[in-house]
Formats: sequence, structure tokens, C-alpha cells
Amino acid sequence: MTEEIHFVTGKGGVGKSVVAASLALKEARRGRKTLLVELGERSFYKDFFSLGREVGYAPVQIAENLDLALWSGRDSLREYAHHLLKVEALVKLLFENSVSRSLIDIAPALPELAILGKATSGPRRHGPPAPHQVLIIDAFATGHFLALLQAPRGMAEAVRFGPMGEQSRAIEAVLTDPKVTRVHVVSLPEEMPVKESEELTEALTTRFGLRPDIILNKTIDLAGVSDRALNTPHPFAVHMKDVKDRQNEMRDRLLKTGCPLREAPLILSDDPWALTGKIAEVL
Amino acid sequence: MTATTTTQVMVFVGSGGVGKTTLAAAAGLLAARAGKKVLVLTIDPSRRLASTLGIEGSTEATKVPGFEGPGELWASIVDHRRTFDEFVMKAAKHAPGAEKILKNGLYRQLTTTLAGSQDFSALEKLYSCYKDGGYDVLILDTPPAQHAREFLEAPAKIAALFQEGIARWFRDPQSGGAGFLQKIVSTGTRQVLKVLETLTGSDFIRELGDFFRTIEGWQGRLQERTTAVHRLLVSDETRFYLVTGFDRAKWLEAESFARDIRQAGYHLGRVIVNRAWPQWLAEKTEAPLDPELEPLHQRFVEYDRKRAEALDRFTADWRGEQKVLRLPELSERVYDLQGLAKVAEALSRGGW
Repeated sequence: MTEEIHFVTGKGGVGKSVVAASLALKEARRGRKTLLVELGERSFYKDFFSLGREVGYAPVQIAENLDLALWSGRDSLREYAHHLLKVEALVKLLFENSVSRSLIDIAPALPELAILGKATSGPRRHGPPAPHQVLIIDAFATGHFLALLQAPRGMAEAVRFGPMGEQSRAIEAVLTDPKVTRVHVVSLPEEMPVKESEELTEALTTRFGLRPDIILNKTIDLAGVSDRALNTPHPFAVHMKDVKDRQNEMRDRLLKTGCPLREAPLILSDDPWALTGKIAEVL
Repeated sequence: MTATTTTQVMVFVGSGGVGKTTLAAAAGLLAARAGKKVLVLTIDPSRRLASTLGIEGSTEATKVPGFEGPGELWASIVDHRRTFDEFVMKAAKHAPGAEKILKNGLYRQLTTTLAGSQDFSALEKLYSCYKDGGYDVLILDTPPAQHAREFLEAPAKIAALFQEGIARWFRDPQSGGAGFLQKIVSTGTRQVLKVLETLTGSDFIRELGDFFRTIEGWQGRLQERTTAVHRLLVSDETRFYLVTGFDRAKWLEAESFARDIRQAGYHLGRVIVNRAWPQWLAEKTEAPLDPELEPLHQRFVEYDRKRAEALDRFTADWRGEQKVLRLPELSERVYDLQGLAKVAEALSRGGW
């Protein structure tokens, strides 16, 4: 039964997926049955973890207590349709007719709603059983993520009656329940990602009443290095001095958002399990 | 006077955060220095880059301040919503009640939520600049995507929306009385809609019906436009430039994207591996490194050596692919035209 739903978002390229996998690994190591979810049509983790098998809608185990799934809007909708209609022939009619398929693909907000419906089906006690205690969702980047969160609200406004309207309101209630839903905004100690984090945390707070936390990714620990060493003309020292100044500046800016701030260190490794394992330890 | 010179089109694609926008602008700078009249269409430039290009807070094509030639460097930000609305209004020129669609709730949602709608307006902007003429080179920076190939899929996805068949489903029953579902000709279609109605509620079906009835009658023009855009993208004048980051998953993606591009009949210009090594690593120095920094320095050097080897192995695997270009991670950020010029120099040193 789903106890917690975590969304991991942030600007493209900040390392969202690696942080999401690390958070999932951390929960799994604590002995909680965890599902790491990626959204869309193609799996990032398949290549990242060199899994050597396809990743799809049905969860596959990738570590102890840790399963992985790829949710597309269409698959989520199909499952929902099956649950509601009960009759496979009707589901087939809907999903295998070429025109209705493209209708589903383009029907605004329907795929988004189906994905969120799937994520919140446990707490809403609606739909097929959700056996994982923790869901870690490697969600879309900033703009698309806000659109995802907006989908139930938009739908509830556009469609006041019928199952769609009701579902939308129920989904929205789960998403805005801080005991269940957590949002993690991943950032980097750089101008553009920090600017986007500031705007995103502001939007999440004011538009959705959510209180996200921020994970400042790829920081370098320079606490043990003196200013004297950094203020030398060697290119590496010059670079590290720049890194230190920028990290301090960006950390200060992110603290001003009022959101809890954590840091994930830059790990110099391309081994996916070493990388996520080390970040999991720190988070 | 007849101008028969062709317009060269460069499309920069890649997943978010890889430095696409800056590289697109730098490529523009190089082309303008070579004497061309260039327009760079950007999507979401950083404030510093926008102010460098002189386009902060404006969506009009603007001459980049301080650029001295010999060519001309122009830049513009693509205003997604406006481009999309203008496109729809243009396509619906003679259709009655076309402006109704701009107020339709589903249309508003569609243009914000539908994956690919941003890509679509970027392409629309590119095509209208192409048609208007006036530039030797058009450079398009594309919206951030999770995967580079989503950009290629966008036009077809949007075109499917305007496909004639769908609108016919929702054709207005005219005579009123019974609900419009009953008036639909084909029983198969009716069944499908009924299932959809059970699933979503009749309000939703009605909204959808409204939407498709509103756009009915001018999908033809929308389709024409999508076809024309596609024709431009596969033409000999258009080259795709894939900008990719520096990790294994990204390279694998780049490789399959390059394959997709060729299979779909597009022309791949180059694959640019951005930030392939840190600039400090390449800088020669007489200055001693403080022992305090030695262990950290060692770890970085070792890490970068391993990554360079991995990248060598990887690019060697791209049989027959001579087009991989590597750029260092520059320490400076782009604050002004000089900063952009440095990126452009790195680009041209890398073999642009």
C-alpha cells in the first residue's frame, strides 16, 4: 500500500534521474518496498544501469526492495480503463481503434491525469492494488511538471460532472496532502538551474500549496581547503576558487526560498551503483 | 531583382541543459562573421544570453548589439503561445467563429500541456521566417526535451490532432433533440465514443466535441502547413546538430538519435559532445599547485582521463561517423558578446 509519493523535478540536465534513483535506493535500503518510476515512452535507467532488458509498465526488480517501472500516459490510461470498464473487449475497442488511439494521445491532459491517477491510486483506494510503500517518481522537468500538476485541476474545472471530474478532485486532494506527497526540486550550483529552482519552488508554493525541498546536486566539498591554497594562479586552484564562490552564492540564494535545502556531492564515478549508493548515503 | 540564393537552416536539438542555446548562438556568430545575414531563433535563453543578444523582454527580431560584421547577426525569442495562436488564426482565416477556439478550455490546456506543442510553435516560427526570406542562415534552438527525438515526433503528433477523421466524429447534429452521440453515422465510432464517455464523463466528450467542431473545416490548411514544414526539414538546405552531454546514457541516446535522423531522411550536420573536458585541464601553467589541493586535483585528473578513454571507445564505435565534435567545459559564463565569441572560438577550434 502506497504510503508516500515522491516527485523529483528540476531543470533539464541537473541530474534529476540520478538523484531520484539515489532517493529510491535510500528508501529500499531502509527496508521499504520501493518503486522507482520514470515517465514517458523511453527508459533512461535501462541504459544507465545497463539492465540489458526492457523496462515497461510492469515493475521489474533491480535491487533488493527496489523495483523499476516506466509509465506512459497511454499505458496508465489503459489500465484505468480496464479497471473501470471491466470488459477487455471494450478496452480493446478503445485502444486498438486507430482514430480513438490518436484521440487518446492528443486529448489534452488525459495522459497526465492517467499518470497521476496511477500514482495516487493507493491512497485513493481506487484502481488496481499498489503494493509498494514508497513511490519515487522521476518526473518531468520544470515546465512540464507544473503542467502535470495542473492537469487534475484543469480537468476538474473543465469537467464538473461524471467520473473524470470526481477522479480529478480526488487526485488533487492526494497531491496536496503533505503527509503523502513530497516534491524534491533538484538544482545545481549554477545561475540557470538556481533561477529555475527559485521560480519553481515559488510556483509550487503559491499555486499548489506544496512545500518542496531542494537538493543542490554536484557540490564539491572544499571545507578542508584553505583560502591561501585557492588563491594561487594554478588553473585548477582558480577553477576551484570559482566553484567555491559560486556554491556559496547559490546556496545563499536557495536558502532564501525558505525551502529545506540538502546537498548531494559530486561523485567522480561513472559506475551507476557506486554513484547512486554514495548519494543515497548522504541524502 | 530576383533573389535565388537558398536559405541555409540549422536546427539544434538535444536534451535539456546541454548548452544548446549558447551553441546555437555561437554558431550564428560564426556564420555572421563569415559574412552571412543570420537569424538565431532561441526558445528560453538565460537572462545573460538574452541581454547579450539584445532580445531581453522582446519577441521581435533584433540586431545583436555590438556585432560588427562583416555579416549581420539577428536574434529573436520564440513566443510559444503567440506563435501557436497566430498560426491557428492564420490557418482559420476564412472559417467563421475561428476565434472561438482560442477561448476553448481544452485548447488552452492543449497548448500548455501537450508534449510537442512547443516544438511545433518553434517549427512554425522557423517556417514563417523561412518563407518571409531575408536571411542567408536561419538557426533554430529547440525546446528542452527529455529526449532529442521528441522534437522530430512533434509535427506528426500535432498533425494527428487536426486530422480530418477525428473532427468528423464530433460533427454537429444540426437538428438538436437527441444528444449528438446518437447522430453519429458509424456505429463503430459511436461505440468507441460511448466507451470513452463511460470513462471520462459526458462533459468531457462534449468539450472534445466542441473543440473538434471548432477546428473542423480548416484542418486542410493546417495539414498543408505541417507538410510544408516537414519538406523544409528534410530538404538539402537543412542540417540537424545534436548537442549532447558527457555521460554514457547520453551518448547512447545520441547514437540512436543519429540513426533515427538518417532513417527519417533528415540530414545530420554534426554531433557536438559539449563539456567533454574541463578547460583548466588543458591549460598549461608554470604555477605550482598547493599541496592542499593535490588529492582533489589527482581525483579529477584521473576521472577525466577515464572519461576521455570511454568517449574515445564510444566514438570509435560510430562506424563511418566522422562528425563527432568535442568541446571543453568553458570556465567563463557568457555575459556578453566577448563571452559568446569565446564559445564560438572553441566551436571553431573543435572543427566546426
